[in-house]
Amino acid sequence: MKVNKLKTRDLFFVALYGVKARRGRAAMTSIGIGIGIAAIVAVTGISSSGKADLLATLESFGTNLIKASPQAGFFGSQESLPVGVVGMVERIGPVEEVTSTSRANLLVRRTNFISEYEGGGISTVVTSNELLEVIGGNLSEGRFIEGDLSDVPVTVLGAVSAERLGIKSIYPPAKILIDDQWFGVIGILEELTIHPDLDRSVFIGYGVAKTLFDIDSEPTTLYLRANPDYVEDVVDVLAPSMNPENPDQVEVSRPSDALEAQQAAEAAFTNLLLGLGSVALLVGGVAIANVMVMSVLERRMEIGVRRSLGATRKEIRSQFLLESIILSGIGGIVGVLLGVGITFGYTNYTNIVFSIPFWQIFGAVVLALVIGAISGMYPAIKASKIQPAEAVRT
Amino acid sequence: MSSNINSVISLKNISKTYDGPPPVKALDDISIDINEGEFVSIVGQSGSGKSTLLNMIGLLDNASEGIIEIEGKNISDFSDDELSKFRGEKIGFIFQSFFLLPGLTAQENVAEGLLYQGVKREERLKKAKEALEQVGLGHRLTHLPKELSGGEQQRVAIARALVEDPAFVLADEPTGNLDKESGLKILNILKELNDIGKTVIMITHNQEHAKMFKKKIELVDGKIAKYEG
Repeated sequence: MKVNKLKTRDLFFVALYGVKARRGRAAMTSIGIGIGIAAIVAVTGISSSGKADLLATLESFGTNLIKASPQAGFFGSQESLPVGVVGMVERIGPVEEVTSTSRANLLVRRTNFISEYEGGGISTVVTSNELLEVIGGNLSEGRFIEGDLSDVPVTVLGAVSAERLGIKSIYPPAKILIDDQWFGVIGILEELTIHPDLDRSVFIGYGVAKTLFDIDSEPTTLYLRANPDYVEDVVDVLAPSMNPENPDQVEVSRPSDALEAQQAAEAAFTNLLLGLGSVALLVGGVAIANVMVMSVLERRMEIGVRRSLGATRKEIRSQFLLESIILSGIGGIVGVLLGVGITFGYTNYTNIVFSIPFWQIFGAVVLALVIGAISGMYPAIKASKIQPAEAVRT
Repeated sequence: MSSNINSVISLKNISKTYDGPPPVKALDDISIDINEGEFVSIVGQSGSGKSTLLNMIGLLDNASEGIIEIEGKNISDFSDDELSKFRGEKIGFIFQSFFLLPGLTAQENVAEGLLYQGVKREERLKKAKEALEQVGLGHRLTHLPKELSGGEQQRVAIARALVEDPAFVLADEPTGNLDKESGLKILNILKELNDIGKTVIMITHNQEHAKMFKKKIELVDGKIAKYEG
């Protein structure tokens, strides 16, 4: 016997009828799934925006930047690196650029009216013009210690120290006091993000450091750029090259590592929020299953009529299953829109890069549909098992 | 009451017991033959087994014992899917409480009668319009059931039953919820369907209506008490 079948397109409209006929209930039922999906999309969206922002930051500073400084000795001794260290490092093959700084122990104050005991928190870094290029920093105003400026009492401020000294601009010309010597401010740096220590410093040239403070150009920190393919190798040989006798006295680090660690810490928080989103989804799925079971009981008449009009058990089952998937799908789509909106708002507010990978959105919708299918299975089977004679009994 | 070679519906020693506790014997050893084009009434008190018998004939329920043959085929040979499709194509049901889907218009409700036969939507709606015109509701196509009177709703239900052009029309007290005038109208429509060759089997409480039928089966406590025609 030939068995005619309900067309797929018609099945969809039959299932949609069940949703449309009870709009209010459908909306309430979808809320749980909507909240769950919104939470998951927003959390993953904010997390991936954060990652994209980090990548952008790392890209601008570069992951091939290496910093080397002396390990603080047991009693705080050995503050500087061996003389001639820059030359040694330059001879390492993959090293592309090297520059050094010396940390000078000088008191930085805005004016001489500020007590000597209140001037802490800002360090003085003696450096040359290459520093900015090697670390990838930018000036927000003015210029760096170029050429002959190294020999005159001028200074450039890190972003944080400029703020602490109350100097927002080099106009009108401002000066600060470094160990009782006046220095004119010729530039202010943008925030360096991966070098928080430099943000809290003021920079002066080697020449003036020698003439005014009698500081030799003994470097305390080395900044270098290596060929990106050999960064790990350079990190490995750096300490023995700089101090062959006591390589353990040299501390080698990659500033980008610190940012990545910070990101990892935030990931733990993201997982917690994802967990909460999953709980909302689970509750949403149970809500759909509940409502669908109730719906099956209420709609015995409809089931009976459809069976008497020729619907097979499978067609009834498909109808209720698809209805459940549609309910959950509506929640999923609303959730995705809400989640993307939240992410967009957040990234806009915190001024970071907006980024949600397509697979996350796609995955969220598929997840909603799968939950709908699982939630609808039991009610659909229940509906298909109703005996037509029982269903039309009045 | 003997088996008839021309009968389109033949019930042989049918019994139906509903599982208890306590078990209820709704039908007890029923044998009926219904010929093509007959107009049959089933009468009896509430609980006498009328609806069970009609559901059995309409393949909505299985017999506990006995054989049901429709158009010469033993329906116990049919799978559940085949039974469903047979119902859809050959049997039109009319229920006492109309059973229209509240969210669909009259025309859409009638079109549902063809849904499970794989007929295209445009074709379904076209045939639904014709069926509604046939029962005098051509002007009510876009009305929802709640906007129609009881009599009109039952006529929509009749249109839904006959849109699939069934060989048999089974009606379970179709006038039970209607006033006298609407009830007569429904009865006349069923009579007209019979006149064009459909086999009509109807349950009724109304003795006056029952007089219009040539064949009458009266049930008492699940047994045939009287078999006329």
